[in-house]
Amino acid sequence: MPLTRINIGPVHPSTHGVCRLVVDLDGDTVVKVEPHCGFLHRGVEKLVENRMFMQCPPYMEKLDYVAPMSVDELYVSTVEKALGVEVKEPAAYARLILLELQRLASHLFWFGATCNDLGQMFTGFMWGFRDRDIVLKLLEEATGQRMFYVNMRLGGLVRELPPDFAEHALSTMEYLEKRIPAYRNLVEKNPIFNERMKGVGKLSRSDAIDLGVAGPVLRASGVPYDVRKDVPYYAYSALNFRAKSASEGDNFARYMVRMMEMQESIRLVKEALRKMPEGSAMGMPIKLIIPKAKNRIAMVSRENPRGEEMMYLVADPEKAYRLSIRAPTFINLAALNRMAEGCRMADLFAIFSTLDLVMADVDR
Amino acid sequence: MLIGSVSALINMLANGLASKNPFLQSAYVVVYAICIMVLISIFAYFFGWIERKVIAKAQYRHGPTYVGKFGIFQNLADLVKLIAKQKMVPGNADRVPFILAPIFLVSLTIFMLFLLPFSSSLQATNMGLGMLIIFVLIGFTPLLLFVAAYSSGNKYADVSAQRSVLMLLSYELPMVISIAAVFLLAKTYSISGIINAQSHLWFIALMPIGFVVFFIAMLAELERPPFDLREADSELIAGWLTDISAPYYALSLFLDYSRMFLGSLLIAIIFLGGWEGPALSGIIWLVGKAFIIALATILIRATTVRMRIDRILRFGWVWLMPLSLINLILAYLIMR
Repeated sequence: MPLTRINIGPVHPSTHGVCRLVVDLDGDTVVKVEPHCGFLHRGVEKLVENRMFMQCPPYMEKLDYVAPMSVDELYVSTVEKALGVEVKEPAAYARLILLELQRLASHLFWFGATCNDLGQMFTGFMWGFRDRDIVLKLLEEATGQRMFYVNMRLGGLVRELPPDFAEHALSTMEYLEKRIPAYRNLVEKNPIFNERMKGVGKLSRSDAIDLGVAGPVLRASGVPYDVRKDVPYYAYSALNFRAKSASEGDNFARYMVRMMEMQESIRLVKEALRKMPEGSAMGMPIKLIIPKAKNRIAMVSRENPRGEEMMYLVADPEKAYRLSIRAPTFINLAALNRMAEGCRMADLFAIFSTLDLVMADVDR
Repeated sequence: MLIGSVSALINMLANGLASKNPFLQSAYVVVYAICIMVLISIFAYFFGWIERKVIAKAQYRHGPTYVGKFGIFQNLADLVKLIAKQKMVPGNADRVPFILAPIFLVSLTIFMLFLLPFSSSLQATNMGLGMLIIFVLIGFTPLLLFVAAYSSGNKYADVSAQRSVLMLLSYELPMVISIAAVFLLAKTYSISGIINAQSHLWFIALMPIGFVVFFIAMLAELERPPFDLREADSELIAGWLTDISAPYYALSLFLDYSRMFLGSLLIAIIFLGGWEGPALSGIIWLVGKAFIIALATILIRATTVRMRIDRILRFGWVWLMPLSLINLILAYLIMR
């Protein structure tokens, strides 16, 4: 039978933004997937070269608009490393809490989107988004914004965490702790969900390493590599943190890794709130002209919700000479062809959604 | 007042349909057809509204609220919007089947509803082979859907057309076999005969397996989730509706809801005793039972994820087919 070539996207209900897939189909079986990216390219890396260091965080946040805080934090800590600025301990704890909350919000978003891509009539989507909004409310209390926070300054945060933040955060975490079993009830007991997820879109351990995939996709393939554990930053080494991984490498493993990570994040936030030392979390006031960079080259990597994101900064003493971003989503997208080979047309979207892509981060 | 006039109308219709004068009878058949059309429209409208409200409730939303009290006129507003839009036929499409297939589908569905009796006296015709004819006609629906999809010249619709044929292979046979068990027990092919055979005990009590098989097959027939593969929105954008323009889309929504009405009426007639019930008149019992079944399908829609086409084929042949055969054997034993 001749191959059918179907163009999916850039405008399609389940391409999570503006990804274009050219799919060769043999009947209903996928022979080859060719992702085309670049529809959302803004040239952020170039924009940075013409601006002072602290003018850039707002650009960085738009990279990963589902988890803006994490990219913001990554950029600011890269600049901190170049300038040699230390982060005080209370600020480190506060950042860790905000990052974990951001991870929760991002994974809840992912849960909703995946349910939708599997063909559920928006129920999981609305549940996930409703609880994500509760987490965003918490972040709004801490930063003043729901989505794009611009809350990081050199050495700390823009503002202190509000006095009743710990109390609100704890009650929210208790609420979410009850909610996550409800999600798992909704989908995991459904035989059709299991059928669509288990054994579909397998990525073997060696393929995962060869392709360089990152984050939950890598951990679901049996590589327990988590930057938070292996190269701990902030207070992760002081907290009782375990990296979550699974060995099957299929859709269900990726689902399980993210579900377990949410539970782990809830636990981490609670523990960090308990152990958080007294003191000010404030960073340096916003100064566009800051001390000259001590290190010419700085590279920082962080475990973002979508995987290990890296920034490589060559400092021209007062601004960036060159900034290079290793986006986990871009590399995960490259693994799509390997995972989708031989699967059914319908499963292509299930696999695509378990990669948890944000096209803005892919295209930069 | 309203209830009084409606029941007067029903009585008048029933008397007219039973009249001996052939001219008078055929005139009443036309009036009856118009009444059925109104009934379908009312059901389609309220089913659409309730579906939106119930699904919204399951998702912690409010659903439509702005147009009218509780958003009751929202569907009307949507309908006006859809009808007011431009009609277009894509360049790749095969013009004649593309335009005619949805219209044929709607008329076929309405014709099948017209053949159904709504109470012991309210029926256009009482054919000895009534139920058999209905199932022959139902078999045409996927074929017409195939034509509609294939003629649109869109690749997504092509995939949808292929799926439509595979679906036909997977559920049609179990459905027909579970109906055969019903014929065996009722000892008749006529619709009224099947309902009269249930006057003591509903067939759902005699054939629970048959009910489950038929319900699942009917969900697939009606393209309700988890079997909504032909217009899988997250995969095929809208399947066979991808290139269709707004007025035809409105027609296809009406088609969906009227097929829903047909399917739930069939389940109510075959397994839930049709118009049997105390106190109220038969038509209210029948439509009420159909509505409860429709509500169940809404809840299924709110929770399940979509099945995959190859799994449906497998499910149909590995599970539904043996179950329907077991049901047939059990029905034979009960009959003896």
